[in-house]
Amino acid sequence: MRLGRGGHKRGFETIIRLSLKDYFHERLLSACAVLGLAAVLAPLLLLFGVKIGIINTMADRLIEDPRNREVTPVGSGRYGEDWFSVAAKRPGVAFVIPQTRSIAASMVLYNGAGEKPHSVVVDLIPTGEGDPLLEKWGRIPKNETSVVLSDTAARKLNVAAGQEVTGRVGRSVTGIKEQVTVRLKVAAVLPIEAFPREAAFVRLGLLEATEDYRDGRGSEALGWPGQARPPGPREYPSFRLYARSIYDVAKLRNMFFEQGLEVYAKVEEIEIVQSLDRSFTLIFRLIAIVAVFGYFASMASNVLASVNRKSRHLGVTRLIGFSTGSIVWFPIVQSLATSLLGTVTAICFYLVVEMLINRLFSQYLSAGEYVCRLSVGHLTLALGFTVAMSIMASAYAAFRVAKIEPSEVIRDV
Amino acid sequence: MVRLSEHNTQPVDKKETTMPSPGANVAKNSHVFHLEEVSKHWAGEHGFALKVPALTICQGEKVALVGFSGCGKSTLLDLLAMVLRPDSATEFTFFARQDERLDVIKAWRHKDLNALASTRMLHMGYVLQTGGLFPFLSVRDNIGLTRQGLGLPVQDAVEMVAKRLDIGRHLEKLPGQLSVGERQRVAIARAMAHKPSVVIADEPTASLDPINAEEIMGMFTNLVDEYHVTLIVATHDWQRVDERGFRRVEFQLKQDTTDGTVRATVCG
Repeated sequence: MRLGRGGHKRGFETIIRLSLKDYFHERLLSACAVLGLAAVLAPLLLLFGVKIGIINTMADRLIEDPRNREVTPVGSGRYGEDWFSVAAKRPGVAFVIPQTRSIAASMVLYNGAGEKPHSVVVDLIPTGEGDPLLEKWGRIPKNETSVVLSDTAARKLNVAAGQEVTGRVGRSVTGIKEQVTVRLKVAAVLPIEAFPREAAFVRLGLLEATEDYRDGRGSEALGWPGQARPPGPREYPSFRLYARSIYDVAKLRNMFFEQGLEVYAKVEEIEIVQSLDRSFTLIFRLIAIVAVFGYFASMASNVLASVNRKSRHLGVTRLIGFSTGSIVWFPIVQSLATSLLGTVTAICFYLVVEMLINRLFSQYLSAGEYVCRLSVGHLTLALGFTVAMSIMASAYAAFRVAKIEPSEVIRDV
Repeated sequence: MVRLSEHNTQPVDKKETTMPSPGANVAKNSHVFHLEEVSKHWAGEHGFALKVPALTICQGEKVALVGFSGCGKSTLLDLLAMVLRPDSATEFTFFARQDERLDVIKAWRHKDLNALASTRMLHMGYVLQTGGLFPFLSVRDNIGLTRQGLGLPVQDAVEMVAKRLDIGRHLEKLPGQLSVGERQRVAIARAMAHKPSVVIADEPTASLDPINAEEIMGMFTNLVDEYHVTLIVATHDWQRVDERGFRRVEFQLKQDTTDGTVRATVCG
């Protein structure tokens, strides 16, 4: 009968306990290792927190701002309803609506209430459900006689949301000037930053009716006189289009370019933020790599020094008869303990400083914006990463432990 | 060279007649170690070579390896403890029981270090000249370590052996709080707690004053007899070993004039 196959069942557990007891016994040295790790990790976490916070805040501002997501055609084209139904389904397109001829897309608005009548010529801009500009700053007009005014238009008319204005459209039919009016209810007034010019956002139906009226046609719905519109699909010279995010803008612009369609978009501004993000990421990565190397070196040398210092004790565990597979866990367990405690310490430091930084810069930030920010996921990732690093850092020490010859170390003085 | 195996049956018989015990009948004539032509050699200017032509150690025997420092006592102990790889051997067998044997030389050749370690844990105890205790473990945990590793119940066995070595009151202390003599008792207790079949001790009392050494060695041999453990001790205290019923194993030293290597041959 052959003796002694493999290790004994409790060998592994006993070594783990031995390792942890040693770690606790040398708590001063262990605390030094923990603080050493926290000293490397805490600034690194802050660096990433600031990076993610600032870039996210800037990117969110850009992403949230519909003005940056607008793709505007330069010049006029001929877009049928088919084109719009295809464009609306295109990935990266958040909102698209036809625009009628710009020369016909205007109206005189008139406010006769109050002591002094006010009037202003406004551009009519088509809108509908899903319009990001109005969703952010105003509200979507419910029907053809509902209107959202830009700040400058509302100011000149001296009206506020809820009041009514009169819209007047004129035409000249064979030399005779005609005009029609329509009562419009002001659904909302946009803030000045949303749209700088005098404009009224209206349903497409009103725009089409205005265009038709100028062409000598009538509108049944609005009760405007004129010829009937010839049957057949309508074509539009232009459109309003918003990308889903700023990251889709360049893609959409390039796609339109390929279709031979010249468009204007804030690609350059977006590019600046994106390249800033890329440069930041690169710099932070370089710093992180240096820090990681530093951490790895310090961790590995700590564990190795400890293993060398304890080679006699480890030799004795071998002499007693613990298996190699158990003993190699001695440095790994201590390294794991250091990485866990060190990461937790670093995270505590980080959270305190994060709070301070965000408080310091709070005046420049709106609600939900941060200068320094790491999610629970990021912190968990940091923990997982340091644990993996600590195992790698202790691998060589573990190898050395496996190679310890008891006969060489047990008689050390 | 001398065939030790024939030569050596007598001290064992003597011991059995003087100290009859329940285990003695079982142990009669059964081997613990059987070595033939085992050698270990260190090259270099001050080279050293140990040769064991033949050595058989029986169950329950008390063997003293006697000689000056540097004669190869520690080397032989390490070979027997299976922590030092022999260069060559015709036979090197360890018997845990008569029907349970480990071919040590074959395990070394197969680099089966875990088989050797596992056998050590189950069947051997090792007492070092000094230290070897874990400074971060209490005396209780130090003594119970092997039993813990084997998954054996710890408390009763530890308290029993501690009481026999008169260190029961130190169980909760750390080794650093004990005197050198007390630490050696703890080391002996740790080697004995799992009732191994053989205990190997390398000059266990050399660092102690004569009175302490005498007392501890007395306790040690009594405990060994009581547990029916085979004891192999390296010592240079040759006057006392015969009184205690040890069988002497000595070393013949010869310097090789050609390369300066010291050649030690084990003989009875």
